[in-house]
Amino acid sequence: MILSPSPHLHTRRTVRGTMLRVCAALLPAWATGLWFFGLPVLWLTAVCILSCVLTEWAVAVLMLRRRPPVGDFSAVLTGLLLAMNLPPTLPLWMAAAGSVAAIGIAKMCFGGLGCNIFNPALVGRVFLLISFPAAMTSWIMPDGTAGATILEELKHGLASAGDAPLRAMFIGNTGGSAGEVGSAALILGGLYLLASKVIRWEIPAAILGAVALFDLCLGFPPVVDLLSGGLLLGAIFMATDYTTSPMTSRGMLVYGVLIGILTVCIRRWGAYPEGMSFAILIMNGFTPLIDTYMRPQRFSPKAAKGGAES
Amino acid sequence: MPPSHPSLRMKQKTFKIGGIHPPEHKDASLEIVWAPLPRRVVVPLSQHIGAPARAVVGKGDHVDRMQLVAECPGFVSACIHAPISGTVKSIEPLPMPGGMPQTCIVIEASEEDHTTDTRAREDFRRTLSAGNTPRVRDIEALSAADLRSIIRDAGIVGLGGAAFPSHVKYTFKPECPPEVLLINACECEPYLRCDDALMNAFPALVIDGISLLMRATGAPQAVIGIEENKTAAAEALQACIPAESGIRIQILKTKYPQGGEKQLIEAVTGRRVASGALPSSVGAIVANVATAFAAMTATAFGRPLIERVITITGEGIPADERRNYMVALGTALAELPIPTADTKIIIGGPMMGRTAVDLRGPVVKGTSGVTVLPPLRRPEPEPCLRCGACVRACPMGLEPYILSRFGKLRMWDEARERAVGDCLECGACSFSCPSGRPLLDYIRLAKQRSRK
Amino acid sequence: MNTFLATIAILGLTGLIGALLLYATSKRFDVAVDPREEAIREILPGANCGACGLKGCADFARECACRGSLEGLVCPGAGAEGMKRIAALLGTDAAPAARSTAIVHCDGSCEARPRPYVYDGAQSCAVMNAVGTGTSGCAYGCLGCGDCTAACRFGAIAMDPATGLPVIDAEKCTGCGLCAAECPRNLIEIRPEGRRGRRVWVACSSRDKGAVARKVCQAACIGCSKCAKACPFEAVTLADNLAYINPDACRTCGKCISECPSKAIHATFTPLVKNETKDV
Repeated sequence: MILSPSPHLHTRRTVRGTMLRVCAALLPAWATGLWFFGLPVLWLTAVCILSCVLTEWAVAVLMLRRRPPVGDFSAVLTGLLLAMNLPPTLPLWMAAAGSVAAIGIAKMCFGGLGCNIFNPALVGRVFLLISFPAAMTSWIMPDGTAGATILEELKHGLASAGDAPLRAMFIGNTGGSAGEVGSAALILGGLYLLASKVIRWEIPAAILGAVALFDLCLGFPPVVDLLSGGLLLGAIFMATDYTTSPMTSRGMLVYGVLIGILTVCIRRWGAYPEGMSFAILIMNGFTPLIDTYMRPQRFSPKAAKGGAES
Repeated sequence: MPPSHPSLRMKQKTFKIGGIHPPEHKDASLEIVWAPLPRRVVVPLSQHIGAPARAVVGKGDHVDRMQLVAECPGFVSACIHAPISGTVKSIEPLPMPGGMPQTCIVIEASEEDHTTDTRAREDFRRTLSAGNTPRVRDIEALSAADLRSIIRDAGIVGLGGAAFPSHVKYTFKPECPPEVLLINACECEPYLRCDDALMNAFPALVIDGISLLMRATGAPQAVIGIEENKTAAAEALQACIPAESGIRIQILKTKYPQGGEKQLIEAVTGRRVASGALPSSVGAIVANVATAFAAMTATAFGRPLIERVITITGEGIPADERRNYMVALGTALAELPIPTADTKIIIGGPMMGRTAVDLRGPVVKGTSGVTVLPPLRRPEPEPCLRCGACVRACPMGLEPYILSRFGKLRMWDEARERAVGDCLECGACSFSCPSGRPLLDYIRLAKQRSRK
Repeated sequence: MNTFLATIAILGLTGLIGALLLYATSKRFDVAVDPREEAIREILPGANCGACGLKGCADFARECACRGSLEGLVCPGAGAEGMKRIAALLGTDAAPAARSTAIVHCDGSCEARPRPYVYDGAQSCAVMNAVGTGTSGCAYGCLGCGDCTAACRFGAIAMDPATGLPVIDAEKCTGCGLCAAECPRNLIEIRPEGRRGRRVWVACSSRDKGAVARKVCQAACIGCSKCAKACPFEAVTLADNLAYINPDACRTCGKCISECPSKAIHATFTPLVKNETKDV
């Protein structure tokens, strides 16, 4: 005989299933990167995933004396996301260092899964960007030659927005990190996540909408911004990270709009050509505040006057 | 399946905030089997919300079926009648299905009592099945107060599960009657089909019962809220609604917890009952469809509430034995066809029902069914991902993840500030959590403890 | 060289001005604290358990220092020794307060009370209590999830994995009553100690009839009243099939202990028993 409090039914969704679905949704974009940049992408990914998983295990078991982490695949996802955010030619030891920072500092220091304030993969990327700025901004083109990303060319006045090769940017035939170039594949993955209800529409829609509107106001072609750099990867896969984003629809919209505005600000007026990582990390920090003020809509907002107690 | 009746082709409504779609599993057969009368019944004195009834019989007394055995000691209470004829064996604390003891009257029937009762019940069954209702009382001549006292004297309580004494709920000041009587035919709990079965079997009596409740409450119109997965029942009812009766049917989208009182009122009328307020504050009153049926049998046949329809279903029962039964109240669960080996037995539906461990415990007025599930354990809780699934599932617009944390950390004041008292314990949060966290367990605790 | 000296001078001066400012503000906003209050706070356990009836240890210390006497102020956490030291600080005498410690009115160990049901829910006694009888089928006994151990701020309660029951360390227990307030079945009593720290109590709370209670638990009090008859001081009362030993009347002679057929009467000492009952 089993004694248990209600409810006695449970959804089929699990943490592991969710993580695996996100990984699956990332695969088309990752495959695009592999196609254009070749085997370095594979090695980079392997090193990132492996060092993320090992770091999580080591911190949990050796330092925190917890049970070894169950296979919830969250560290795998962090590793994959980090690898997709790095230049394909990055030295592998740097990638490993970034992974240790992502899991060790951004995730486990705060208490592990569900407790981190900042997106671990982005912390890893920004850690590398600040530590090894040269290596983190040396890109190769799909043909193997060294080159600059479109955003860098724009920043340094080497190209004008009107000349951006939109078609190449859409399919991913351009310079950039392994995961961010394949815009079409990223959109495909995002549609899968939306259809399988892993993510909600609010955050991506708010980010993309805010970027497009702000660009229009500035007289900059929105398509260039939307298809370049890590904007799609960030809007669909990084900003939507459950733990570091707000929980209510209204909160998600505010969060997304502010990320979009911050990104455009950094891209147009900041020192960096790319602003997505910083924008998301900044808004991660505001998530608790957004959750405090953007409460869900209550069914019955105010109590009845008088003693109408049931 | 879209309804074929033209007046049922309408825009389907539902409540706005939250809600979930658990697997329905409504596969029990709709036929109502009249379970044989038991030889021994255990009748608890507290089968309702409010003061327990006071026994008016003593040990050794002989009681007839339908005789009053316990009376109301106050206004908010319900009287209780003998479900079978026989001798009162004892009045003592006996275990309920959950294991906790409660004072019960135990009645045992002799062979002769049993034969007489069975024959009388068979006659009644035929009368009901024939569909002609002999008007033992002149219903048209009864006033609202008369009807309410009939309902009170029949011991009728809300049969949807809460078991609130009906005569209390239906008492309104004559100068401000409710605008609308809502009949709850949602039966949004997965698995259960007892209301569906009742509507399919006795649609005319249900409709008569509804017009009777309209008169008892003074409501000028009644709306039957029914989910679209019960189209057959809706059509059966629609065929029985007389013209100009003020009764209409509203088809609702299937969503849990549609049968919650506040959710149903919002779904049908669009009005929201404030926190801590009664439905009457928005001019509505809600009654379960089975309550309407009970009120009708009490008025037309002079029968108190001594039996009810329950569903016995779930994966623990072979597919062709999942049925609805007309069962005498006080029947021990052990006398019903419920397998005990390797099962988890739930009194009620799987979302809000309580597990049973002691099958000596009886069927009571609020028992809507028995769901027998395989003995699956809950998933091992994982850390909260802050995914917000619980927030989106909560039909009251609360934040279950944080309320649950307050409950675990014994922070009752903080929980009260975040309106834990609004929680209706529907279980949508725990159901939807991908980390398998026991959210409702701690929220329920916080709700109990933060009550002043 | 000049730059070097200038740097030292400017930074040194800034530091000095800062230090002076800090000193001035700390003097300006100084709150006079009774030195005795600080000393008393040092003696208190700092658990903020609330057993004294005040909000916490700091409150208690302030109250002691304000009143200048210990009248009506007892900190069970500090113990007799601590209260004596506080009294010495205040220059008064500590009233000899009777020591109280927690005892558990249940002895339904896994052996005496089998656990036929499986509980599947949040590991909390309060949650389990709302669901039903718990894993044993006894509607009154210990649920075994350890809400009391979590409530204790002195580390005085631990769950014994062998029996599934809480064990109270009488040395560490201060009788603050946090555990008693937490137990959803009210199984814990803060019981004054008798002579030489002795206590005798009925380790059962079942109000079921004897036969019913015995069926779920071998250690249940069956309400047979043998203990009441054996007691020379009329300290045992029987209500709802359950015996209770009134601590005010009990002289801890231990005569009732050997009488109990289910060994439900517990004591903190080994009573002198007659030879013929020793092997029961």
